Amino acid sequence: MCKWCMRHGAGGKWYLNARNYSNELAESMNLQAYLEEQWKNFEQVYIRKIMGISSIDLGNKLKMPIIGRILRWSVERMIHSESLNRNPVRADGHFGQVIPIEEAKLIMMNLAAEPIIKNYCMCRMMQKGLKDACCINFGLLSSVIEKLPRFIPENSKLHITREEAVEALKEQNLKGRIATVWFQPVPYINAICSCEVPQCGGLRLRMDFGLYTVYKAEYVAEVNSDLCQGCRSCISRCQFNALRYSPTLERVIIDPIKCFGCGLCRDVCPQKAIILTPREEHPGLKGKY
Amino acid sequence: MGKTKIRINYSKCGNATGGIDPRQCSRCLYICEPAVFIRHPALKVKEENPYDPQYWQVTPVWLSLCTRCLKCVKACPQNAIAITW
Ligand code: SF4
Ligand code: SF4
Ligand code: SF4
Ligand code: SF4
Repeated sequence: MCKWCMRHGAGGKWYLNARNYSNELAESMNLQAYLEEQWKNFEQVYIRKIMGISSIDLGNKLKMPIIGRILRWSVERMIHSESLNRNPVRADGHFGQVIPIEEAKLIMMNLAAEPIIKNYCMCRMMQKGLKDACCINFGLLSSVIEKLPRFIPENSKLHITREEAVEALKEQNLKGRIATVWFQPVPYINAICSCEVPQCGGLRLRMDFGLYTVYKAEYVAEVNSDLCQGCRSCISRCQFNALRYSPTLERVIIDPIKCFGCGLCRDVCPQKAIILTPREEHPGLKGKY
Repeated sequence: MGKTKIRINYSKCGNATGGIDPRQCSRCLYICEPAVFIRHPALKVKEENPYDPQYWQVTPVWLSLCTRCLKCVKACPQNAIAITW
């Protein structure tokens, strides 16, 4: 993710920089009180005011001629804010990126700070009324969520090991959810979610309103047309409508612009016809996250 | 398509305003395909324990995505949802 890797990647990807996971960083940013304030009423984030305008019906407001442009600019600034006077109740500085399962595993095994918890997904609870214990949070955020009864799972344990976190993320991937890693707030990293359109709050803003709450992965899927047998198993895995079966070609074709690089299609292909390739090596997609 | 207005009758749904606790229902949330509604702690109420809010409300936030299928209106057991355009 060019800009964020440059600012917080220490020469690599932002989410592979150990410093961004450290307790020292969380402490130096005074995040205990900030995250508690944010999480106590997190579900109110979409009804709060931005620039004095209620964010209810953001979609129509963004379409307004001049105000819409200013609003978009100010929402983007808020989402990516690194300022010292960030507002926790608007979730300032909170955004993420899609990662394939192998990187989620790398993070959980080597980088995530303990304790690690698996709690109810706030988005699915907020937008669908469902209790789904699938969100993996870690470090300081775990101790914040522990204090909030509504996110504590009833039928599974809250505290999990690194290995259990990897298993949980794999299970979610298998179900068809994509792994995403989050700054909360930038540059502190404390969550890997298993997201699904349209009930993920972050993907909602990205997919429906073009706001950069979630960036595409560092990868893009490529289908090997010699290997693909046209079985179509991959198509139902894609949340972004990037894959289509072509009756003329009798195989699957991909729209690389739509592809978020989650790797879900790759993981089910019986022919191993799909691979993830680095976005930056793709001339047409370089810098397009 | 012009703007869609969705009104919730908060005296029927929303336990800070005399209605039911939407956590016990949430039919509208579940049934709406574009996920137009959110369920959230009610604004401007004094919670005994702010870490465990007990007063909840439903707000249709993503109005521009409503397809006017009216499934929520039909599904609401309290008849609390009205949609106009
Ligand atoms: S799963 Fe593999 S073989 Fe089947 S259609 Fe997709 S790419 Fe082709
Ligand atoms: S095409 Fe494959 S890798 Fe790309 S977004 Fe769809 S499922 Fe994910
Ligand atoms: S009318 Fe249909 S799309 Fe609109 S809010 Fe109700 S269920 Fe959702
Ligand atoms: S369906 Fe009606 S009663 Fe149930 S939560 Fe929605 S608005 Fe409230």
